Amino acid sequence: MKDSLEKRVIFLFLVMLAVLVVVAMVAIGNIRESIASSDWVNHSHAKLLEVEGIVSSLHAGEAALRSYLLTSDARDLAACREQCAQMTEHLQVAQALARGEAGQQQPTVQLESLLAKRLEFISQVVKTQQQNGLEAARKLLAADAGGAALREIQRAAGKLKEEEMELLRKRDQASYVQAQTTRWTVLTGVISNFLLLAFVAWLIRDDLAARRRSAAALRTANEQLETKVQERTTQWVVANDALQLENLERQWANQALEHQLRYSQLIIHAIGDLILVLSKTQNILRLNHAVERQTGWESQDLVGNSLSLILAVSSQAPHSPPARDPVGSALNAGHELQEWPATLLHKSGRSTRVTFNLFPLRDGDKVVGGVISVRPPPVPSSPPASGESI
Amino acid sequence: MKKHILVIDDEESIREMLRQILTAKGYRVSAVATGLEAHRAAQADPPQLITVDLQMEDTDGLELIRQLKSVVPGVPVILLTGVLFDPQVVRQMVGNQISSYLQKTTSLKQIIQEIQRLLGEPGAAKTP
Repeated sequence: MKDSLEKRVIFLFLVMLAVLVVVAMVAIGNIRESIASSDWVNHSHAKLLEVEGIVSSLHAGEAALRSYLLTSDARDLAACREQCAQMTEHLQVAQALARGEAGQQQPTVQLESLLAKRLEFISQVVKTQQQNGLEAARKLLAADAGGAALREIQRAAGKLKEEEMELLRKRDQASYVQAQTTRWTVLTGVISNFLLLAFVAWLIRDDLAARRRSAAALRTANEQLETKVQERTTQWVVANDALQLENLERQWANQALEHQLRYSQLIIHAIGDLILVLSKTQNILRLNHAVERQTGWESQDLVGNSLSLILAVSSQAPHSPPARDPVGSALNAGHELQEWPATLLHKSGRSTRVTFNLFPLRDGDKVVGGVISVRPPPVPSSPPASGESI
Repeated sequence: MKKHILVIDDEESIREMLRQILTAKGYRVSAVATGLEAHRAAQADPPQLITVDLQMEDTDGLELIRQLKSVVPGVPVILLTGVLFDPQVVRQMVGNQISSYLQKTTSLKQIIQEIQRLLGEPGAAKTP
């Protein structure tokens, strides 16, 4: 979306630039043409002035001639000659000005011809007056066709002037048209550019509004996401705390059990009597340290083996009927045996006469085994020395 | 201001677990291993509650409780032990010296509730 807008803006700015260039080129072209027109106007005015100058110089020269004829004053002659020279000068300028105009050559040539004839006539009159006197000059002057030549010259000059005025009018109109064209071109260009600029501004504003909406939507989405993340984080923290607490509880429970087990072991091993735990089939399951100390048997020698390995049970006890397997019978029946005779078999091969107690192990109402406790045999004391009483 | 609890037990694992759970619950915990350290800790920074193990290396819990009562009288004491006593026997033995007796087989949750009850905090369990 951003790229599309960028391209459109760039394109529109290029269009505006193109419009500006076109307007500038048209304006420059029109200005050049205006300058050219202005030059032509000046040219036309200059030509008109020269033609006017020709006519007025001619008139002044004719007047000075007549004055000279009347007064024979050299100053009048000089004035006539001066006017003729000025007229000639004006003609030359007019010819020079007409050189660039194809249609103006012919009238100028015609005028030149007429003026040349007139100058010749004036020279002839002056010469006649100088050579033959005033009367001859007057006759010559009278022979002049009543100013017809002058009128012809004036007509030719007038025609030139008219043509020049027509040209002036055309050039003036062309200049006006060019000015209007320039005005309208510049105006159109400026308005077009303003419109394009307004369009670009609208595009950009529209895009900005869209961006603001997107930003607001994004902000809202971000806020919602953050809220969800916080909620989820809180849930995770709570779950983690619960898990840690659960873990800690488990560790606590484990250590409590271990402690109980360890404490029970300590108690059993602290007992001085030999303690043997039997299964119902009279295999040894556990024993305390007193067994090891007293008999030399180690735990791995006895656990899992028959009781008969360490204890040979007598078949009969005082005040009890004989029994083939007193321990098995007692376990099956769930009875105790008290002070039953037996022989303790040491690992070294030595044997010792002992008595034992049997206590059935009950799990609920079932007998699952038994515990035998054997009082350790007394440590034999040293024989008394002779003469000492026991 | 966080309430201060003094934990006395010669087993490091017990001290560490109690420290973790009590700190997580917002208490300030001091944990010591011997009766001597307990005396020093109680004098330097009197606690609001004490938990004592029964069997320790340099003393026994009951004797330690009597001694600590002279240092910080009025502070509730919990006897927390792995030795399984009949609660009736415990009450007869210690009289008014301890505020509560708990076995180490009791869950941490119940231990915390008992501590909160003795400290008069909300969320505590009802008087047993």
